[in-house]
Amino acid sequence: MKLQAQQGLMTTYRSPWRNRGPVGIAISVALITFYCVLYFGGTTLTIPYGPSISWPDPLTPIAQALGLRHKWFVYGLLYSFGMIAGGTWYLRQHGNSRYHQLRIATNIAVQVVLAFCLPYALAFVGQPEYYFSYFWPLSYSNLFPETLQGLPPYLAAYSLVGAFVIAPAASVLFGKRWYCSWVCGCGALANTFGDPWRHLTFKDSRSWRFEKVAIHTILVTCLVMTIAVTVGQLLHFKAEWPYQLGGFLKGWYGFVVGAVLSGVVGTGLYPVLGPRVWCRNFCPMAALLGLTQKIGRFRIRVKPDMCISCGNCTTYCEMGIDVRSYAQSNTSFTRSSCVGCGMCAHVCPRGVLRLENAAPVASDKRRQGIDAVDF
Amino acid sequence: MHVVIVGNGVAGTEAATLLRSRDRDCRITVVSEESDHFFSRTALMYVVSGQMSYRDIEPLERDVCARLGFERVRARVTGLDPERKLLTLASGEPLAYDRLLIACGSEPRRPPWPSYASLRGVGHLVTMQDLEWLEEEVHGRTAVDAPPRPRVHETDLPSPYKRRKAAAASSGKRSTRPVIVGGGLIGIESVEVMLAAGLRPTFVVREEWFWPIALDAAEGTWIAEELRHHGVDVKLGANVRDLVGKDGLVSGVDTDQGPIEADLVVVAIGVVPNTGWLGDAVRRDAAGGILVDEHLRTSAPDVWAAGDCASVRWFDGRVRPEQLWYTSRDQGRVAGRQLAGETDAAYVRGTWYNSAKLMDIEYTTAGLVNMKVPGEQSWYYEEKGTVRSTTRIVHTEGRVVGFNFLGRRWDHSVCTRWIQERRSLPWVLDHLDEAAFDTEFVPPLRIPADLRRQA
Repeated sequence: MKLQAQQGLMTTYRSPWRNRGPVGIAISVALITFYCVLYFGGTTLTIPYGPSISWPDPLTPIAQALGLRHKWFVYGLLYSFGMIAGGTWYLRQHGNSRYHQLRIATNIAVQVVLAFCLPYALAFVGQPEYYFSYFWPLSYSNLFPETLQGLPPYLAAYSLVGAFVIAPAASVLFGKRWYCSWVCGCGALANTFGDPWRHLTFKDSRSWRFEKVAIHTILVTCLVMTIAVTVGQLLHFKAEWPYQLGGFLKGWYGFVVGAVLSGVVGTGLYPVLGPRVWCRNFCPMAALLGLTQKIGRFRIRVKPDMCISCGNCTTYCEMGIDVRSYAQSNTSFTRSSCVGCGMCAHVCPRGVLRLENAAPVASDKRRQGIDAVDF
Repeated sequence: MHVVIVGNGVAGTEAATLLRSRDRDCRITVVSEESDHFFSRTALMYVVSGQMSYRDIEPLERDVCARLGFERVRARVTGLDPERKLLTLASGEPLAYDRLLIACGSEPRRPPWPSYASLRGVGHLVTMQDLEWLEEEVHGRTAVDAPPRPRVHETDLPSPYKRRKAAAASSGKRSTRPVIVGGGLIGIESVEVMLAAGLRPTFVVREEWFWPIALDAAEGTWIAEELRHHGVDVKLGANVRDLVGKDGLVSGVDTDQGPIEADLVVVAIGVVPNTGWLGDAVRRDAAGGILVDEHLRTSAPDVWAAGDCASVRWFDGRVRPEQLWYTSRDQGRVAGRQLAGETDAAYVRGTWYNSAKLMDIEYTTAGLVNMKVPGEQSWYYEEKGTVRSTTRIVHTEGRVVGFNFLGRRWDHSVCTRWIQERRSLPWVLDHLDEAAFDTEFVPPLRIPADLRRQA
């Protein structure tokens, strides 16, 4: 089996469901509806100055019928099936690359074992439901004092060490891809179930400016909220209002970021805006690891003077990075948003790009030509 | 100062942006007959197949001309008067310049077949208009994003940027029997376009094996094998005598190996400089290439030429057009500096290198390969393990002069450095892993000990 190059040509835009046409939009509407039912099922959502919507909750009865503890396990099951189906599709498309084989296999294994089977099985040995593949700030409630108190010491320690040591240190060594493209469930869903739409991500500089403002705003908000909740919970024995303030912030953060942006918008708009809407614009974990990636060893190396500006790299970048602009100006680069999925290197017909973990080399920084003008 | 650039391809665009970076104030006009925006010609095949959209193949954002203050003129230029420093547009309008860069590129080479010009369903894959034509023949319609088509061809002048009428439009049927003539890169790209559309094309190659200018028999045979594996009918050593037509539509190709049924013929037998419109205004060589010195100056004062239309001195000393993306880009940069008044800016061609993707097989070359260097010998290794690859190293008089790689990725810049450093074959084999550019987790190339000893 060949391990490199493209497996023949892709007919991407000629599939009606993949070119932002009516079929794609219909899929998007269906996904958005599903996520509204998932997050708001059984509740009445009142839009300020607008109507109240009572959402049905069909997932809880399904969970009971299947013997699963709650609806989130039904979601986990669907998530796993979606990833296996999408992963199969992905490997049929791009599976002649060993990087993709190992990465997608890891993604699916992490989801099935760490994010579904293990949390389900922990209850049988008297342990709390715990997700080993998610860390603060993505799993924003992980570090609240009340959460940590409710965990056995080894799990509380894992939460703290994972967020403050493992995640940043690994990002310095390998780039944020170790998490965003190999471990994280959100990224894994995007790269399997969402992969057919990866070319739809906006690449223009306006969307880059939006991304930078949005993602760092969420990171700061998450930080402020976590501190407020922590202070409120720690001082609860003294005063009531900090506790209530923390609870209020947590509630709104959970609704806006946890439900709407990560689920309804982040996944629901896959067929319209590409699969990494959440990861690119809103995920606080991606923002934090992106900052550590910038000072770390990961980079995309550009082979000098070989780029033909065809634009396959930019087209298939799910994070909307204009990879071509770096390639055609001979600039090896590290962008904080890059999740290291490896697709730019994979689709390049001239083998110009290479993902690597290495210290920068002075000769790679040669800049000339078209980027002499500040676009 | 008014600088006019004819052509908005890579050479013209590089020159314009570089000039703007040196000179914030001068007036820059970019004339193009072909398209509103600079696009990557190398990616035309991806738009036909559906892998990319029209917008995707534009390397720059669309407001770049406005931001950098380039005036755009969408018209065919029909003549140049270097005495009066005047261009003539197809509408008859004059366009005056102080400095002129001709970067008008190539046009497809036309075949000598008697019925070539009269039949529908026959065309090329070189220009934006070729892309639109081929898309109609193969898919019936564009996938997304087709650019608006301004009426710039009303004059009926012959032009490579004229939209052909599709046979599919007359017959009402999309192509099912495509034939591609010409065993080069555009030929194999056209074949891939047909495969992506689910068609089984016939590939007519004049030579004994695929692409002998770059590959030897074993390498070319592997590519042909790969093509046949995907269902392509590869006809090697076949010469086309003429086309066969019926009711004005192409219906077959007559070759010296017998007739081939066809409802679509893509002619990919190379490109020639698109310089017919220049007449005697500047000196040109027999092939039509504009003769330039190392500063890319033409025979006319204040007129430069860059890219596919210019005949430059190659690494082997011969003077001819160099029809490559990256050399056009480099020449555009030199021309931009010249236009900005940097009179010492010169185009110096270093060691030759190139790369391509032939179906699924990646190809990298550096130095003198298939150039019949006196006393040359080839060291060759064919890897057939997890990765299939070939490695050919050309050496003479104890030093390595060329590399030809298929199936793996290599850093050509390391190879060209070794050639310049006059490294020996055993030294190169010992250090070959330093030039490897494979993606992560791909097992490295291991050369068997006995082959290493032979060196």
